[in-house]
Amino acid sequence: MHYNEAAVFKWVLIFAVAGGSAIGLALLAGSLVGALYGLVLAVIGCVYGYRWTRNWWREARNRPGGPDYKP
Amino acid sequence: MESASVPLPHGAGGHAAEHVHHGPPEAHQSSRIDRQVLGILLFIISEVMLFGSFFASYFFLRVVVNPESWPPHPFELPVAVAGMNTAILVSSSFTIHYALEGIRKGNKQAMKLGLVLTWLLGLTFLFVQINEYVHLGFSDRTEAFGTIFYSLTGLHGAHVFIGLCLLSAAVIRAFRGHFEKEPEKHLGVEVPGIYWHFVDIMWIIVFFTVYIL
Repeated sequence: MHYNEAAVFKWVLIFAVAGGSAIGLALLAGSLVGALYGLVLAVIGCVYGYRWTRNWWREARNRPGGPDYKP
Repeated sequence: MESASVPLPHGAGGHAAEHVHHGPPEAHQSSRIDRQVLGILLFIISEVMLFGSFFASYFFLRVVVNPESWPPHPFELPVAVAGMNTAILVSSSFTIHYALEGIRKGNKQAMKLGLVLTWLLGLTFLFVQINEYVHLGFSDRTEAFGTIFYSLTGLHGAHVFIGLCLLSAAVIRAFRGHFEKEPEKHLGVEVPGIYWHFVDIMWIIVFFTVYIL
């Protein structure tokens, strides 16, 4: 994964789509439904972030600079 | 001119003439990420925590006050204006991305255009926000709702202002020809770009929380 502006821009698109759908749902079905949907999205995001971080540390040894790295 | 040389480690004397190093030694760094990019990412993580504390205060107040409607009577928020402002800010993320894509391909005109458009869109957002504050009809001292509303949107507005300052520097440097195609030679656009995206993402959350829910 590259850590640059393009990678962050991808997250702008993800948040825009997620936020847009939550806003649309809240306007159509009410604040409570929108809030619950937003909460579900936030939980999914947290689970994804946790799994990504765990995997990142697990593979740290094999990356350049790590003790088990083989070019 | 006399040059100062750093004592070389044992065994490196053979190449002393070729490797005379000036100044302090290079700091250790990962080969996978620039120090500047790592710095802005760590800064953004700390900013997320700051916004998180404000959101916690917002939801705490909302649950504790627990009015029949939110915002509590007689407060009214201009959702349509804020929605338009959201569209402006989201658009500015596309223009800064356009600027970065431009310089990555060596197109300096595209970079300049993208940077200027982003700056103008950011300024428009801030102007609309201030105009909204003027016409809202309540201040930060008007009950807890006024305080938390101005705190959250004001905190974000301050971030937009800082982003505009960073973009101003990037625009000036772009027109002076400071940036090149190579990744390490346009960090002055890359880092404000990452910060601007963060400000944009944060506004989507602020807008959804404060104006829609």
